[in-house]
Amino acid sequence: MPNVSRRLLPLVPVVVLAVAILSFPSLAPNPYILSSGIVVLNYAVLATAWNFVGGFTGYISLGHGALAGLGGYATGLLVTKAGMPAFVALIAAAVLVAALAVPLGMAALRVRGASFVIVSIALVLILLLVFQSWASLTGGSRGLVVPRPFPSLLRPEHHRVFFFLYGGLLALALLTWWIVDRSRFGLGLKALREDEDKASALGTPTFTYKLIVFVLSATFTALGGGLYALWFGDLDPVFQFSVLTGSYLVLMALLGGVRSLYGPLVGALVVGTALEYFKGSFGNTPLHLVATGVLLAVVVLVMPDGVLPALAAGWSRLRRTSQTSIREVTAAELRDQRTSAASAASGSARSADSAGFAGSAGSAASGAGATSPGTDAGVSERASAHERSGGGGGKPDSPGRRDQEARR
Amino acid sequence: MTLATENLRKAFGGVVAIDGATVEFQPGKVNALIGPNGSGKTTFFNCVTGMIRADSGHVRFGGHDVTRKAPHAIARAGVGRTFQLCRVFPRMTALDNVLAAVRPGGFPKALRGARNPDEIERARTWLTRLGIEHLADVEAREMSWGQQKLLELAGVLMAEPETILLDEPAGGVNPALLDRIGALVRELNSEGRTFVIVEHNMDLVMSISDHVVVFDRGRPIAAGPPSVIRTDERVLGAYLGV
Ligand SMILES: Nc1ncnc2c1ncn2[C@@H]1O[C@H](COP(=O)(O)OP(=O)(O)OP(=O)(O)O)[C@@H](O)[C@H]1O
Ligand SMILES: [Mg+2]
Repeated sequence: MPNVSRRLLPLVPVVVLAVAILSFPSLAPNPYILSSGIVVLNYAVLATAWNFVGGFTGYISLGHGALAGLGGYATGLLVTKAGMPAFVALIAAAVLVAALAVPLGMAALRVRGASFVIVSIALVLILLLVFQSWASLTGGSRGLVVPRPFPSLLRPEHHRVFFFLYGGLLALALLTWWIVDRSRFGLGLKALREDEDKASALGTPTFTYKLIVFVLSATFTALGGGLYALWFGDLDPVFQFSVLTGSYLVLMALLGGVRSLYGPLVGALVVGTALEYFKGSFGNTPLHLVATGVLLAVVVLVMPDGVLPALAAGWSRLRRTSQTSIREVTAAELRDQRTSAASAASGSARSADSAGFAGSAGSAASGAGATSPGTDAGVSERASAHERSGGGGGKPDSPGRRDQEARR
Repeated sequence: MTLATENLRKAFGGVVAIDGATVEFQPGKVNALIGPNGSGKTTFFNCVTGMIRADSGHVRFGGHDVTRKAPHAIARAGVGRTFQLCRVFPRMTALDNVLAAVRPGGFPKALRGARNPDEIERARTWLTRLGIEHLADVEAREMSWGQQKLLELAGVLMAEPETILLDEPAGGVNPALLDRIGALVRELNSEGRTFVIVEHNMDLVMSISDHVVVFDRGRPIAAGPPSVIRTDERVLGAYLGV
């Protein structure tokens, strides 16, 4: 590929995304489709925000629904109880949630793997209880009504404005993720995702890094939740503090691919659209929960890296086979193959001469070419044998009422 | 800078892995730490580098007490280490593995691009020196055990540590690579780096070290030049179980 077009290639998705977002409100045949578009964009924002933690650090959070809920309630309460202008309240709510994310992160990020998943679920359940029972402030299960920020706008116009607001927020989240991804900070995060102890032994302040990226993630999640409150205008603790939201986000990010910038967005488009479609055609059945669960299992088993990387791998494999058929192996490559074969052989011979840890050493040696991401930390030394589960088998909670019913 | 411990102790439940170890390594030299399986050598490294917290006692590096410091702080103070079961970042390329050891600096400096040309140049120099430059763009998980061990060392060296702890560098490598690692340690030492090497291969230990500390049941039982240690009766006893 010529150099110029390779340099311009990353701009293609940016342009496609911009065109899609700018044209969708005009193309949507009716306000209901447009509002479904907002729901999907909301998911895209939340899934991208989730991926600051899930993608960079490998910590699977099912609690992000609660952070969105906090953003929504904080925005709603700042508007209704403190009388703030809507968008000032939105920003203030995000700042509040970010501040709260510091102690939350300090507590939750101390545990890894499955324990972290459980802590994140606990966060949701605790907040659900608090917001349900503190009725004098939150309206309890009767809900909190948030006045519309633009009372003069008709419903389709209202949707259109919020669609663009969500588009802007999504762009901001993607830009931030991209900046982190290519930075030294990002490399440190990716290192700790692979092996936290190893990263710290190389000088990465792992805990601080996890905390910073968690706060960043919480901020974008709160902005998404706050925008939802302003758009939807009605908050119910059961939907705002639902493990289901977190599970959807996990599914979307895993499906699209947590290691790629657009992965969660693609996942949100697929899953979000499917959810909206199922709700529209079949109404309130637990069927979509089953479908979600099955899809999650399939993704984790078949495409652990998600759709985008799977497509990219398939594409490069196609190109490589067409290349190797006309290419000759150079002498240097032959030599490399020989040396790596030789050292691999000596690696497996190792278990014979060092009896003290023969078992584990042997498996590590023979696993040199096949260390899977989920087990790499498991092949670590006993002293730091924290288990780190790779996938987040988030089980959706009991089917709650749908929150789309009341959509205006 | 001198690395030393004072009355270091660490128990796992009823198992006392380190039992009041007072050790002083010689700065600027190649030190060896030997002892039977389970004598606490790896646990000692883990305590010294902050990976696990000692129950009591002190670790000093260059006169500073680093006992309760976090691993990254100890690493930044100048102590690098490898792991007994070689640890690299499996899904990163060799080049990224080495770049991950660059000090990111505080914010907003840490938000600058990770692929800084100068750092890439430096990383490639280390890969070249360890003979794995041709694997720069290969993911670590696709490399052989021996190559991964070299890569791990390249990462440690990238962080420019003053003192380097190696946990069984010869474990599982072929004789040719063994010689290369021995020569490399000598070379790096002559450039001013201090080494502490845990190793069961006595030929390697005796040929490259200046000072040997012998562990048995979590504490040093002998220390001295290799020629003396080779004939020390307590050492023979600990190894042969007499
Ligand atoms: N995380 C842990 N939990 C429980 N016991 C441990 C742990 N780590 C080490 N031990 C115990 O502490 C003792 C010392 O182990 P250590 O790994 O430090 O020995 P070593 O000298 O490095 O042995 P080797 O030469 O076989 O590597 C052993 O009895 C071991 O079982
Ligand atoms: Mg050991």
